[in-house]
Amino acid sequence: MSVNAMASESSDVLVEIRDLVIGIQRTRKDRLLIVESANFDIRRAEILGLVGESGSGKTMVCRSLIGTLKRRSASIFAGTIKFDGMDLAKLEERQWRSVRGSRIGYVPQSALTGANPVMTVGKQLGEAIRRNRKRKEKDVRRRVMELLELVHIRRPEVVYDQYPHQLSGGMRQRVMIAAAITQDPDIVVADEPTTGLDVTVQAEIMKLLKEIRSELKMSVILVSHDLALIDEVCDRLVVMHAGTCVEVGSVSAVARTPLHPYTIALNRSRIDISTPGAPLITIKGNPPAVGEWPAGCRFSDRCDFVQQDCTVGRNPVLVEVRPNHWSACLHAERLGGTSE
Amino acid sequence: MTATPIGSGVESAVRAQEGEDGPRPQPTWEKVLRRTGRAIIVAFWVMVVAFMLIRLSPGDPVSAALGADAAPDTVAAARKALGLDVDPLTQFWNYLTGLFRGDLGASLISGVPVTEMLRTNMPVTLWLIFTSVTMTLVISLPLAMFIAMARIPGLPYLFRTLTAIGLALPSFLVALILLYQFGLIWQVAPIFGYDPTFPANLQYLWLPSLVNCVVLVPVLSRVLYSSILDTLEEEFVETGVVRGVRWNRFYWLYVLRPSLAPTVVLLSYMMGVMVGSTVILEIIFALPGIGRELVTAVTMRDYPVVQGIILVFGILVVFLSLIGDIVASLLDPRVRLT
Ligand SMILES: Nc1ncnc2c1ncn2[C@@H]1O[C@H](COP(=O)(O)OP(=O)(O)OP(=O)(O)O)[C@@H](O)[C@H]1O
Ligand SMILES: [Mg+2]
Repeated sequence: MSVNAMASESSDVLVEIRDLVIGIQRTRKDRLLIVESANFDIRRAEILGLVGESGSGKTMVCRSLIGTLKRRSASIFAGTIKFDGMDLAKLEERQWRSVRGSRIGYVPQSALTGANPVMTVGKQLGEAIRRNRKRKEKDVRRRVMELLELVHIRRPEVVYDQYPHQLSGGMRQRVMIAAAITQDPDIVVADEPTTGLDVTVQAEIMKLLKEIRSELKMSVILVSHDLALIDEVCDRLVVMHAGTCVEVGSVSAVARTPLHPYTIALNRSRIDISTPGAPLITIKGNPPAVGEWPAGCRFSDRCDFVQQDCTVGRNPVLVEVRPNHWSACLHAERLGGTSE
Repeated sequence: MTATPIGSGVESAVRAQEGEDGPRPQPTWEKVLRRTGRAIIVAFWVMVVAFMLIRLSPGDPVSAALGADAAPDTVAAARKALGLDVDPLTQFWNYLTGLFRGDLGASLISGVPVTEMLRTNMPVTLWLIFTSVTMTLVISLPLAMFIAMARIPGLPYLFRTLTAIGLALPSFLVALILLYQFGLIWQVAPIFGYDPTFPANLQYLWLPSLVNCVVLVPVLSRVLYSSILDTLEEEFVETGVVRGVRWNRFYWLYVLRPSLAPTVVLLSYMMGVMVGSTVILEIIFALPGIGRELVTAVTMRDYPVVQGIILVFGILVVFLSLIGDIVASLLDPRVRLT
C-alpha cells in the first residue's frame, strides 16, 4: 500500500497510525464503524493539526491515542498505532497505565468540564506528579508551582488553592495544559482545546502550545475546526472527512495546493474577513452520517469535481501525490493546479 | 488573566475579578447564620399555622375529654382551668411569652410538660430517622455506583423497573408485610417495644428503618444513578483516567463526589418528609416516638402538645435542609450556599 512510504520518509516519526478502524460493537454481528482508515504519522516535536467537520471522527482518533475508547464502548477493530516499539491499538488496560499521562498527555476539549470540579488546582496537578514517583509533599508543591509558572499563570500561589470554577476559561485551560505536561510526555493530545474561549484567549493558548513544543520538545496533536488557527500554529495537517483521512501534508503545501476537493471546499468556506460583505460560502450538502457512507469516495456526492469512477468501489486510500503530501482523491493530480 | 477581555465593561470587570482571585468569597459562617435566621422564621410560621389549625378544627380538648354530654358549668370550669376561656389572640400571646421562657406548656390531658414529653419521646423518632438514613445511604451509594459503572446489559432496565415498584408501594403496606414476615414468620425482629439505650435500640429500629429504605432507596439511588451517568460523560473523568488516578481515589474523587450534591440535597428534603411519615411506622411498630404522641394529642385536641411537637418538627425540617445544603456545598464547591 502506498501509505507505507510515509514511514521511510523521516526517521523522526514518533507515532505511526496505519489503517486504523474504530467503531462500536453494537451486537455480536452489528458493527458501527466510526473511523475507517486513519493513516498518518506524528513526528517528533511537531504540531500536527487534525481538521474536519463535526462527526468526522477526530475525537475518536484522539481517544485511540490515550486509550479511552473503551469507556465510550468503542474499540479498535483493525490497524496499528506504532509508538516506541508498542502497538497502542493492542494495548491491554494494564499496559496503558504506563503510557497514559507519562508518555501521552491529554488536554480536554472543554475548559469548563475538563477539570475536576471538586479538587483544587494544586491537588489535581499534584496527583499527576505523585503518581509515578514517591515524592515529598514540599517537592510536589514546588513542582506544581513550576508548572503553573510555565503555563504563565500569574500568582500561582493563589491559583494553587482555588477550585476550577473560580478560574476564568483561559486560566482553566492553562491549568489543563499544565496537567497534561506534568509527567513530561512525548505527545500532548489536545482535542479542540479552545472551545468556548474568546478569540484573544484562544490565541494565547495556541501560543502556549507552541512554546511547549519548542521548549519541551513535545509533539502536539491539535484538533480544531478553525483552519486559520491551524495555519498559524501547525506544522503539518491531517484532513479528515467521514471517518477517513483525505489529505495529509505540510500546512504550507496544503494551503498552496490542496489535493483533495474537500480541503478546497474547507478552504473556501473560511470566513473572509478582509472583504466585508463577501458571501458566506458553505460546503454543499451535509457530511454523510456514520454508517451511511456512500460507495466509493465519501465526498463524491458533495464534490464539485466528481467523476464517474468516484462513486463506485471502495473508499480511495491515501496516495503520495507530491513528496510528503498525500491525498485520497482519485483525481488529485488534476486538482494540483486548481487552488485559488 | 493576561488576555484583554472583550465585551461590555461590566462583563470584563467580572471576568477580571474572577480571573485574578475567583468570586469574592463570602464567609461561610455568615451564610450559615443568615440561613439559620431564615430557618427560625420559617419554624415560627409553622408554629403559628399549627396554632390556628388545631383551633379551627371542630371540637376542643374539653369536649374531647369530658364527652359531648357534660354539664355546661363543668365544661366552663374546665375551660377556665385550662386557660381556654380567653379569646384566641390572648391565648396566642400567652403561648408566645411562654415560648420565650422555654415553656411549651403542659398537656391538657395528663398535665405532663410538653418539654418533658419531647425529651422522652423525641430521641426515639430521631434514632429512627438516623438509622433509616444510614441504611439508605449504605444501600444506595454502592448500588447506584455499581449499576452506573458495571455496564451489564439489561441491568439498568431491571434497576429502573424494581425502583419503580418500590416507589409505588405504600409504606404502611410494606411495614405490615415486613412486620409479618420478619416479626411473626421468621421471628428475627421484635414486633413491638423499645429499649432506649444505644446498641440495644437498634434491635427494635432496624425493621422500621428497612421499611423507610423501601421508599428512600429507589428515589435516592435513581437520582444518584443518573447523576453518576452525567458525571461519567464529563471530560474531567477522561482527564482522570489519562492522569492514571488510582481506582479508589478515582471512584471517590472523580465519580462519586462530583455526583453527590443533588442526592444529598434530596436526602435532606426526604428526611424532612420522613419526620412526618415516621408517625405511621411508630404506630405500626409500637415505638414510643413523638409521632405517636402527636396523633394522640390531635385526637384529644391537646393544644399545647400539638403546637409543641409541630414547632419542633418545623425546626427539624428546616435545619435538616440547611444541613443538607451545607454538606452538599462542602462535597462540591460548585454548589453555592445561598
Ligand atoms: N457511543 C457512540 N454511539 C454511536 N455513535 C457514536 C458514539 N460516539 C460517537 N459516535 C459518532 O461517531 C462520530 C464521530 O464522532 P467524533 O466525536 O469522533 O467526531 P468529531 O470529529 O470529534 O466531531 P466534533 O468536531 O463535533 O467533535 C459522530 O458522528 C458520532 O455521532
Ligand atoms: Mg470532537
